Amino acid sequence: MRNLLHAEWTKLRTLPGWIFAMIAAAGAMLALGLLPGLQGSCGTQGPQSQCVAAVGPDGLEVSDSFTFVHQAMTGDGTITARVSQMTGQRLGPDGEQDAMAPWAKAGLIVKDGTAAGSAYAAVMVTGAHGVRMQHNYLYDKAGPAGQVTQTQPRWLRLTRSGDTITGQSSPDGVTWNTVATVPLKHLPPTVLIGMFVTSPQYAEAMNESLGAVGASGGPTKATATFDHLDRTGPWSEQRLGGSTNFEVPGVGFEPTDTGFTITGSGDIAPAVAGPAGAGVSITETLVGTFAALIFVVVIGVGYITGEYRHGMIRMTLAATPRRGRVLAAKAAVLGATVFTLGLAVAAIVVIFGQKVLRGNGVYVLPATGATQLRVIAGTAALLSVASVLALGWGALLRRSATAVTAAVLTIVLPYLLAMTVLPAGAAQWLLRISPAAAFALQQSTPQYYQVANLYLPNSGYYPLPGWAGLAVLAAWTAAVLGLAAHRLHRRDA
Amino acid sequence: MRQLHAEWTKLRTSPGTKWLLAGIIAATVALSALACAAIVCRASDCGQDPVKLSLTGTLLGQAVVAILAVLAVGGEYSTGLARVTYTAMPRRLGVLAAKAAVVTAAVVAAAAVAVPISMLAGHALLPAQSFTPPASAVLRAGAGTVLYLGLIALLSLGLATAMRSSAAAIGTVLGLLFVIPILTQAVSDPAWQRHLEQSAPMSAGLAIQATRDLQDLPLSPWAGLGVLALWAAGALGLGAWTLLGRDV
Amino acid sequence: MIDATITVTGLRKRFGPTTALDAMTFTVAHGQVTGFVGPNGAGKSTTMRVIVGLDAADEGSALVGGQPYRRLHKPLHHLGVLLDAAALQPSRTARDHLLWLAHSQGLTARRVDEVIDQAGLGSVARRRAGGFSLGMRQRLGIAAAMLGDPAALMLDEPFNGMDPEGIVWMRGFLRSLAAQGRAVLVSSHLMSELQDTADHVVIVGRGKVIADTSVAQLLAAASQGRVTVGTDDPAAAQVLARSGATGVTVTGAQTLSVTGMSAQAVVAALNAGGVTFSEVSAHRATLEQAYLDLTRDAVEFRAADGPVTR
Repeated sequence: MRNLLHAEWTKLRTLPGWIFAMIAAAGAMLALGLLPGLQGSCGTQGPQSQCVAAVGPDGLEVSDSFTFVHQAMTGDGTITARVSQMTGQRLGPDGEQDAMAPWAKAGLIVKDGTAAGSAYAAVMVTGAHGVRMQHNYLYDKAGPAGQVTQTQPRWLRLTRSGDTITGQSSPDGVTWNTVATVPLKHLPPTVLIGMFVTSPQYAEAMNESLGAVGASGGPTKATATFDHLDRTGPWSEQRLGGSTNFEVPGVGFEPTDTGFTITGSGDIAPAVAGPAGAGVSITETLVGTFAALIFVVVIGVGYITGEYRHGMIRMTLAATPRRGRVLAAKAAVLGATVFTLGLAVAAIVVIFGQKVLRGNGVYVLPATGATQLRVIAGTAALLSVASVLALGWGALLRRSATAVTAAVLTIVLPYLLAMTVLPAGAAQWLLRISPAAAFALQQSTPQYYQVANLYLPNSGYYPLPGWAGLAVLAAWTAAVLGLAAHRLHRRDA
Repeated sequence: MRQLHAEWTKLRTSPGTKWLLAGIIAATVALSALACAAIVCRASDCGQDPVKLSLTGTLLGQAVVAILAVLAVGGEYSTGLARVTYTAMPRRLGVLAAKAAVVTAAVVAAAAVAVPISMLAGHALLPAQSFTPPASAVLRAGAGTVLYLGLIALLSLGLATAMRSSAAAIGTVLGLLFVIPILTQAVSDPAWQRHLEQSAPMSAGLAIQATRDLQDLPLSPWAGLGVLALWAAGALGLGAWTLLGRDV
Repeated sequence: MIDATITVTGLRKRFGPTTALDAMTFTVAHGQVTGFVGPNGAGKSTTMRVIVGLDAADEGSALVGGQPYRRLHKPLHHLGVLLDAAALQPSRTARDHLLWLAHSQGLTARRVDEVIDQAGLGSVARRRAGGFSLGMRQRLGIAAAMLGDPAALMLDEPFNGMDPEGIVWMRGFLRSLAAQGRAVLVSSHLMSELQDTADHVVIVGRGKVIADTSVAQLLAAASQGRVTVGTDDPAAAQVLARSGATGVTVTGAQTLSVTGMSAQAVVAALNAGGVTFSEVSAHRATLEQAYLDLTRDAVEFRAADGPVTR
């Protein structure tokens, strides 16, 4: 096998056309990644225009905007209140419209100051997801279901005990059940404690038909009435975060006879890309992958069909009569070569491409080192397995034009269809079953259950996790290679 | 004339031809019908151009067109048959023209079958809608799609003549068709996006399929098809230049 | 029939650093078979490709019946060509391959059936050409060359891959073409293949013509009037030297090679000297021998060390 690998490697590296195609693949990726046509306004309109995003305790970008009615609390303590009413409005181009956002939130919160992205824990009622206990943006725990109505108020209680916070809820203020007890590390002795209301951006497809163009969205607001407060004032009100571009009308608080009515807009949650989010992900730098794919497909196909065209296959099979091994050696050599090249190029593009984008004033969502590593390695794996799939098509179909088309139609066209013309449902199915599923490896922003968004392929969200997408591509590759090996055994060379 | 006759015989007697022509029809109709069946419409409006939707299969059909056209040239170079061809018919430009004529004619014939079937299937599958495109626009979309596929054949033929390798030529054609739209998606600067949509062969050429919201198109339907025609002419010119300048 | 001699004048062509053709000049006359002989890489195939306009020469001209090939109206009526028998699309049948060629010359299917019979392909004409043996492909190539009933034919290595029966058929076929008054140019890297076929040979090496001569002259020059004597009498050499031989060489245990005397003179001298002998014969050089003598210095690809075996 070692000799065979060596022989196939020699074949691959001694053909100028293929070397040229490899260089062209790398060049296309580099050029498209490092010279993007994107321009943004962050930091380009003077010193005040920097896009400063709130970064949460886990290093990821977060949304941290809500209406906060608070007082300081030193040491351990408790706050209890009843949410007796909750309504929501959507602010569309045609004015306000009564519609509660499913993830509108009203409840009690303990927070480490008012700085954006600071640590917190909160127990809340939501528009459509019942009672939740959330902390530090990423973490979400469900409590009892059900909406707050006039006849069905909801009691909430939040207790600090050192570094742990416990959230409880009750239908009547008598029987309490614990939603969750969460750790909140490094909390200072004095924290802010109080009530909050917020309501996230909505986004919806204008019709079910489109994957791409028909998304509409805008801000929403929620209003909640709190009473039966167990803490007395004074309270101060603050609107945290919030958009600098427009002011949502009506946001604020009003004391009532028994408590407060608070109106808020925004979200306390991880930031997402797409219609309900802002900025681009690091995946943006890897757009050249598609051009590179075409080149590696042509190489993969030619690596085997070239042998048939000039009868060289007879020489190859004479030198190695075990035919399956020839195919395996070719797959190994090609896959390893493309992976190595892809890894190097993707690393350069992701690392330096982000710098170029930020330099152009584009807001790039921060990603952890592990995520960047996964996206880089995933891109290399995608290119590598795709080239082996192309090799399989070549071995199966033996005609280069047909095989190149088969490979492009199975890998690139499903992606294009999913991104442009297909309805969202069909698009997601296509990205589950076609080899294009492996593009999920390039997804760099996670999908959060507790953030409402159109998690659509064209915003960089895939229906499958990365490893599963790669598995789909690998399964296709194995199937095509298997058929090809079968055919190679059965037919005369 | 003799060159036409010879190239026609050659195309006719190549066993792959009839399968590829059938493939053009099958691919176009199948994907069109699938797209029309998969769409979920709200009440009386699908939000989309119904005619364009019923011609979605063009995206797939054009790939088969590209195979047919590329193989018609590349297959001769890979087997050495090109030397026999240009010995029998030393007027190389005449051969290129004859080949382009017969391949395009075959593709146009297949497209003329595929397009009406796709449109009828779309009509049957899509729910009744409030928007009814004018008959002239429907006719333009149908006839234009047939022409579109013919121009894709010419583009592929020209590139294959210039590159002489089936694999490289088909890779280039499919790259031009499929990758530029993906890159366009990734560009968020609207001015650049518009420039790319106006100049890429596929997105410009497919403007011919639009029957509504014409004012929102990056360029008018016929101008779009004209852009694709320029691409095809450029590719054929490149092919002719290579053919005259290089030894066979 | 159109007069179509092939005239090649001063062809030069370089491929990068390699000179493929270096003032190649010769003429192919009608009514005879002209052998185009030289070692591999001598420029035979390049010359033929230039003649039919596939390759462009850097300098010089190649004319068929006084015209550049690429200006001919229906070229296969002037010159029938077989350049590479393997140049086929394997999935097309033999008959369909000939059919499109016929249509390119304004000919009909009837002419196709005629040449299929002429080339002895009747039984396989409707089979995929991809399954043909090299010998059968050569016959298909000949059929293609005969399509236009051309006044001249140009065949590149037509004997390649043929079985002995096929070689005999090919020789007879080529002779009959010449007898019909056609000009026939046949290339080969093996002179022996042309032994009983060619009337005239153009021998090339390193892109130029080394010899352009009739086969009869070539053989006579190579024989140089040598006489072979078979005898076991040790006195024979002395007797012959005294009787006017310019050279006597011992070539074997019982054979001598004599120059400067005719066979009759040798017999007379041996009889007069009382030398017993078993055989006296005029030496007849083979075409192969003559060719090797001529191309000794022009062989492109020598063995890495040591002289070429003769």
